[in-house]
Parts: sequence; structure tokens; C-alpha cells
Amino acid sequence: MDCRDVEGVLDAYLDRELEPAESAPVREHLGACAACRQRLADRESLGRLVRQVSYYTAPPALRARLAHSRRWAPGTSPRLAWAAAAVLAVSLAGSAAFITWSARTPNRVDSVAEAVVDSHVRALMDQHLFDVRSTDQHTVKPWFLGKLDFSPPVDDFASRGYPLTGGRLDYIAGRPAAALVYARGQHTINLFVWPEASVNLRTWDARSIRGFHVRHWTRAGMSFWAVSDLNDAELDVFARTLQ
Amino acid sequence: MESLEKMPRSFEESVLPHMDAAFNYARWLTKNDADAEDVVQDASVRALRFFSSLRSEDARAWLLTIVRNTWYGRFPRRAEAAAVTVTEEDLDSRADASPGPEAQLIQQRTVDRVRGALEALPTDFREVLVLRELEGLSYKEIAAVAGIPIGTVMSRLARGRDRLLGVLTAGEAGGGQSGLP
Repeated sequence: MDCRDVEGVLDAYLDRELEPAESAPVREHLGACAACRQRLADRESLGRLVRQVSYYTAPPALRARLAHSRRWAPGTSPRLAWAAAAVLAVSLAGSAAFITWSARTPNRVDSVAEAVVDSHVRALMDQHLFDVRSTDQHTVKPWFLGKLDFSPPVDDFASRGYPLTGGRLDYIAGRPAAALVYARGQHTINLFVWPEASVNLRTWDARSIRGFHVRHWTRAGMSFWAVSDLNDAELDVFARTLQ
Repeated sequence: MESLEKMPRSFEESVLPHMDAAFNYARWLTKNDADAEDVVQDASVRALRFFSSLRSEDARAWLLTIVRNTWYGRFPRRAEAAAVTVTEEDLDSRADASPGPEAQLIQQRTVDRVRGALEALPTDFREVLVLRELEGLSYKEIAAVAGIPIGTVMSRLARGRDRLLGVLTAGEAGGGQSGLP
């Protein structure tokens, strides 16, 4: 084997992809040729460098979301569906297990979170995002006057990359709410606001439901719920900006 | 009953452990966190849907294949237009920006340069390098994930390494034999 032959298989040799019978002559040539040895050494160094560089690990929030998504993911395979049905049937047969299962009712925050996601999805699907469509907070805020028994804080965050695009009247868990609509690139953020007299403590809640990210906080007697398919990090920035 | 219990659990057992691999691959394909998250999330939903099609034991390569297809479906234009030429000025200025003598600085500088050079490689070369060097996949597995013949895997790896070496040793000519530690 000459240098050209070796060069042609050097990567496969380095990556241990050659059969023993193929690598023997390469090794023999390397033993005799300093230039090819250097070429191999450079490639080995390069490999070490690349391996040092950056292994991007999955962000914890994404990981949590995926572990969670396991339960709602659409299009679950028929096998899984059958398995779930069978498991449920077994649970039903064992009444004790079933009672435990059904007794675990979701708490109020859970049901409100579900409700705001429902509203977000409904608004997008029905294409009824706006009752008032304006990027001007001084147009949107007065629009709510007389339609709600409270005045939601309305701010535009265009300068931070979250422009206000409008608002609408909505109902969440049986009570009227202001729905403010913000844009982030191609993504829509629905921000639901209503007064929450009973909440004195500052709360912060982050969760994902059916692939949508939800942030909830309270401030100055108001309850805020932000819902979007925007990625976690950018929705966090949005929520922190408002807080 | 045993098989019923075993089956739904095995998605967690076989696929979720490879989320880092999925994210790392997606991150190197998309070159930004937000897109990588989107791709991995979509890919996971698909993985769950097609879970019954996972025949082999190698859930990682299987998941990476789905990640790649998801990325390709989402960013078809970017996937094609990914052949960016290496901007050597960028790399040089980056290298000159921190002339500190400390070994740590030099190390950091090297890491930055390598990352920059890898990111600047056309996707075809970048992805085989990432799959080989960071994931340690065999040529056969890379071929399956990237949907290319094994011979192409080999030639892309060879050319990708040549280009990386060319970029990384440029500007250090005369500064040693290979310019690499």
C-alpha cells in the first residue's frame, strides 16, 4: 500500500471500520511512513477536540415536558391504546384500585390550567383571537371598559420582541376574563387576566399541557395565565417581563 | 398482563434515555436552542406514535433517524441551503480576540474555534462528524440515520475532517507541526 491508498481508508481505519485483513496493511504502512502517521495523529487530535467541544444536553424543561407528554401524545399506537384499555379494564375489575384512581380529582389550579389551554386552542382553531385588533395598548385597554368589571393591565412589549396584537373577551372556568394577544415571531401568546382577590401570596406556576406551555402568576390582585406553543425559554422571558 | 405492563413502560426505558442524544443532534442540525427544542418535541411525539415500528434494540439510532426526518420536514429550505462556506475571518478574529497566555484561555479559544468551525461546515459534513465523534455511531448506523450509503458516510467524514483540519490549522502555519494539541 502506498500513501494514496492509505489516505483513502485512513478514516475508516481511524474509526475501526476496517476488517482485520484490511487494516493490517494500513498498520504496516503507518509503521514505515511518518507523513501518514502524522495525518492519522492529526485526525485523532481533531476527534478529541470535537468531543471536548459541545455536547448539548436536553434542557430540563424539555425533558420534563417530554416525560409528561407521554400521557397525552396524540396518535398513540393502537397497541398502546389496547394496552391502556386492558389496564383500565383490569382496574375496573379491581374496584378498590378504581376508587383510588377516580378519587384523585384534579385541584383547582389544574382545572384552570386546562381551561386556559382549551381557550387558547379554541381561539386559534376558530380564528377568533380578536374582538379588538390593535397594536396600541391605548386602544385595547379602553375597549374592555364596560365589558368587564375590572380593568386589566394592558402593555405593549414590542420593544422587547413581544408586540401586543389585540384582545378579546373570554370566559375561563365560568368567569369573564380579559384575553390579551401577543405575538412572538410566528407564535401566538394568549394572556388571560382576571382579578383574584383570594390570592395574596405571589404564585408562580409553569407547566405544559398537550404541548402548550403555560405560565401562571399573580400580581397586584390579578391572576395571569400565559399560554403559547412558544418554546419554554421565550415564554419565561415574556412572563418575567410582565411580572 | 406482564406483556401489557412491559410494553407501555418500554418507551420510557428505551427512548427517553436518549433525549440528550436527540437534543444534541437536533442542536447541531438547527444551530439554535429554540428550533432544536421544537424538533425534539415533535420527534418525540412521532417516536411515540411509531414506537411499535421499533424492531431493533438500537433505540438511539432509531430516535436520531426520526429527529433527522423531523428536522428535514420542518426546515426543508434550510436543510438544502445549509452549504455555508467557512468564514475564516470569523475564526481568525475569534482566535485573536483572546491572546492571553493562560492555558485555560488557550483551551477556551481552541474550543470556540472548533465549535465555530464545526458549525460553519455544511450540514452534510457536520452531521456525520457529530454522529461519529459525539455519538460514536458506526458507519452503518450513521448511514441509516442520515439515509445515505455507507460509502458516502466514509467520504463525508473524510472530507469533513479535511475541511475542519484545514480551517483549524490555517493561520497557525509555521506555528508547529500540525497546530493541534
